Amino acid sequence: MRRVSASEATDAELILRTGDGDRGAFEALYRRYARPVFGLALRRLGDRGRAEDAVQETFASVWRGAHSYRPDRGPGGPWIYAVARNAIVDRARARSEAPVEAPDQESHDTGPAERAEASWTSWRIHRALEELPDNERKVIELAYWSGLSQSEVAGYLGIPLGTVKTRTRAALARLADQLEEELDGPGTT
Amino acid sequence: MDRARPDFRELVGDELTPEERDRLERVHELLVEAGPPPELPPTLAEPPGESTASLIALPRRRAGAMLALAAAIALVAFVGGFVAGKQGVNSGINTFHTLKMHGTAADRNASAKIDIGELDSSGNWPLRVVIHGLPRLPKGSYYEMFLTKHGKAIAPCGIFTVAGDSSTVRLTMPPTLKKYDGWIVTRERTGSSAHPVVLTT
Repeated sequence: MRRVSASEATDAELILRTGDGDRGAFEALYRRYARPVFGLALRRLGDRGRAEDAVQETFASVWRGAHSYRPDRGPGGPWIYAVARNAIVDRARARSEAPVEAPDQESHDTGPAERAEASWTSWRIHRALEELPDNERKVIELAYWSGLSQSEVAGYLGIPLGTVKTRTRAALARLADQLEEELDGPGTT
Repeated sequence: MDRARPDFRELVGDELTPEERDRLERVHELLVEAGPPPELPPTLAEPPGESTASLIALPRRRAGAMLALAAAIALVAFVGGFVAGKQGVNSGINTFHTLKMHGTAADRNASAKIDIGELDSSGNWPLRVVIHGLPRLPKGSYYEMFLTKHGKAIAPCGIFTVAGDSSTVRLTMPPTLKKYDGWIVTRERTGSSAHPVVLTT
């Protein structure tokens, strides 16, 4: 059977290959998940330094523990999420403090379950964004988080407004496909 | 915090089927809810090293040692005359403290020694950095040394290139050492947006 390249492989395949000591697979996992893990850690710990530690510890655990991953128990994304969550909790315990939400998150006095759900949602979204082609991800990031209108995005990127809309629709459709797959997976928290 | 909420209709136009519109609008809501992903700091730009025992040791892991160093330097700043003359001057600076840097996954065989001299007449701390094992870079590329705080590059100390297995460079750092807790050296390649950390304290 043809072995797919690291960039085409599923998360589960990459974890299995990492478990066999495949450095390239491990690096591909890192590129996919470093930002989502960092985002999750920032949200939970509220401190960049500790969040960076948590990222390091997460991927150390992934490298050490990948051989224990069983694809029949669920997809790779939730497995890495669980590893990251453990690393973050450990980091919080190291300071004898409970994990906190970053102050810029909209908490509205939500409980632990709601916060966990919000963290999981952000995780899935940020992970899916990493899979978008660069030109689509750039349009999404500008449209959602820069405060620019579509016309302004077009001007900023130097492309026609129609192209901005086409890329936006394509990116949203691609994200919907990815998120539907992940939503079907077990063990989301 | 209020964030500008993009208009879904403006984003996708009116050409979608109702089913597709619903599907994309759900993603739209999730994007709004999730907020932007954070940018990775320079220290996380590269994956950790192969051996879990030799992961990139971020400068803040040595924060205790560096704070002790900062305290020592502050003390010496007050009693500088006591230290002067007790240390060798053959390096061109009166070294009163030395610390080591080690290679990261990006350049595992690299290492460096930093000699910190006394505060100079212009108010900076002179550094003599002896580097081993960093590869020579192509023309236009260079290494850059930073002071860090919690793993983030805060203050540049200078740029340098190397020639051969061992090189010595003279750099300086600002006087407010207490603001920092470590050093890193990054590799800056022409045309590359990556800034991998190659040495860290």
